[in-house]
Amino acid sequence: MSLAFIDVPGARPWPPRVSAFTKPFWDALAEGRLTTTRGRTSGRLTFPPKPFCPYDWGREVEWVDLSGRGKLYSQTVIHAAPAAFAREAPIRNGIVDLDEGLRVAARILGEPSLDAAMECVVLRFTDGPLFAFRATQG
Amino acid sequence: MTRRVAVVGGAASANGKLQTAPDAPLQVLEHEILAPLVLDAMAAAGLPKEEIDALVFALCRPYTLQKYFATFLANYLRLPLKGTIMEVLGNGMTGGLAFDEAVNTVALGHADVALALGINMESQAASADHAMSTMRATGDVDFHTIFGFTPIAWYAMDAVRYMHEHGATRAELASVAVKDRRHASLNPIAQFRKPLTLEEVLAARPIVEPLGLYEVPPRGDGAVCLVVCAEAVAKATGRPYALVRGRGFFHEGAHQINEVPNDMTAFVSAQGAAAAAYRAAGIGAADLDLAELYAPCTIVQVLVSEAMGLTRRGQGAAQAAAGETALGGRIPICTSGGCLSRGHPAYITGLLTIYELWEQLTRRAGERQVPNARLAAGSCELGNYNAALIHILEAVA
Repeated sequence: MSLAFIDVPGARPWPPRVSAFTKPFWDALAEGRLTTTRGRTSGRLTFPPKPFCPYDWGREVEWVDLSGRGKLYSQTVIHAAPAAFAREAPIRNGIVDLDEGLRVAARILGEPSLDAAMECVVLRFTDGPLFAFRATQG
Repeated sequence: MTRRVAVVGGAASANGKLQTAPDAPLQVLEHEILAPLVLDAMAAAGLPKEEIDALVFALCRPYTLQKYFATFLANYLRLPLKGTIMEVLGNGMTGGLAFDEAVNTVALGHADVALALGINMESQAASADHAMSTMRATGDVDFHTIFGFTPIAWYAMDAVRYMHEHGATRAELASVAVKDRRHASLNPIAQFRKPLTLEEVLAARPIVEPLGLYEVPPRGDGAVCLVVCAEAVAKATGRPYALVRGRGFFHEGAHQINEVPNDMTAFVSAQGAAAAAYRAAGIGAADLDLAELYAPCTIVQVLVSEAMGLTRRGQGAAQAAAGETALGGRIPICTSGGCLSRGHPAYITGLLTIYELWEQLTRRAGERQVPNARLAAGSCELGNYNAALIHILEAVA
């Protein structure tokens, strides 16, 4: 099932670097999927994705889809933003604990309360995607 | 071989705006500030320059034009060295690591006297531009920085979670800034000495919600030099000194946030480092007479105090508001005024921490003197306290 898309005018203020390894992550996000890697021997997920498992250092990993669902652990509104983000300020960013047991940091949409059920959405900028979270819709 | 190590001298500049604009006709130069402090610190120690065997610098900010500043200053001071010379970097831990390395080189017998020193110049860089650099230091450039997180944004999220879980109030958190300012008003090197009211702190413009202007660190410059030596050398000076009783370190193997959901506001690295430092010193938290904590925001001081066992978990903000951590209280914290009011020239903050402890333990702290202070702790950190380095010092007269 695809994540929701939200079109955002303009380019990303600070685009991520894409490597041969992380390209599948950003390509999947552009298709509406939040993904990461899982170590084949440990069976453990990690985020951001890595070309090996940080727990047992196994070199075999597989890409898996994440639900994109979780709970809001914390958030803030950044008024004093770095120069590149001046156009977007104030910025609401937060920390979401995913149902799969991973903690991620991202842009937060709306004004959700802590511990609210959250879902991942794809912000479609003109130059590529970013992930964000909003309170689960229905 | 290891041996006991002491701090026997120190000197610091006033904190604040020392740096000159790039187009100012008369420039303030880093070495012209720091070299006289070396002379002052050695005079305070009562030691001749020939005794110095090692220099350990906190790395200068990128705004300092002179590179290889360490050997440049050794030349400026005509200091041949048989121990070591280096510049260290570790984000907020930079100053603490400079002190730690000076202690190590003396403990190992590579030097009898080592200076731990540094100058942090950054005030001419506009905050939004400076943040373009610091945003890449806290978090993952490709997975966090892309959203515009700044270093203090992570602490702000600590505050939000802490208030949510423990019922602490905004006023309790803000009281830490009022208390620190009161301490700074008694400190000649503090950047801000004008009293601050709780109302002013709460009404300040928001920087990273819920924290306003007075609950986040000011930007500023500063310089400091500490004289670290073998205890035998300190004893021979006949002057009071601060003995390094213990040291603890812990890094949780996580950068900014743990990818495995945990209790983010427990500051597990500060817990681990404190336990190790207390064990090494053979003391407990209750034995401390004061603590100087690396706390760039009000919430950080509350959380580190709890993690180090100086206040109760979940009660640190309330205990601070009740005056327990103020001068005259049960355990005075940040008697210098701390990062918020003494100033936070970040790369030397860890050295300013030890400077305050040396002043307190050698009875030089004037109006902010903690009576009969014997045991003191200093901390510094990385990221969202993902690492902590803690030293325990003891007064010897």
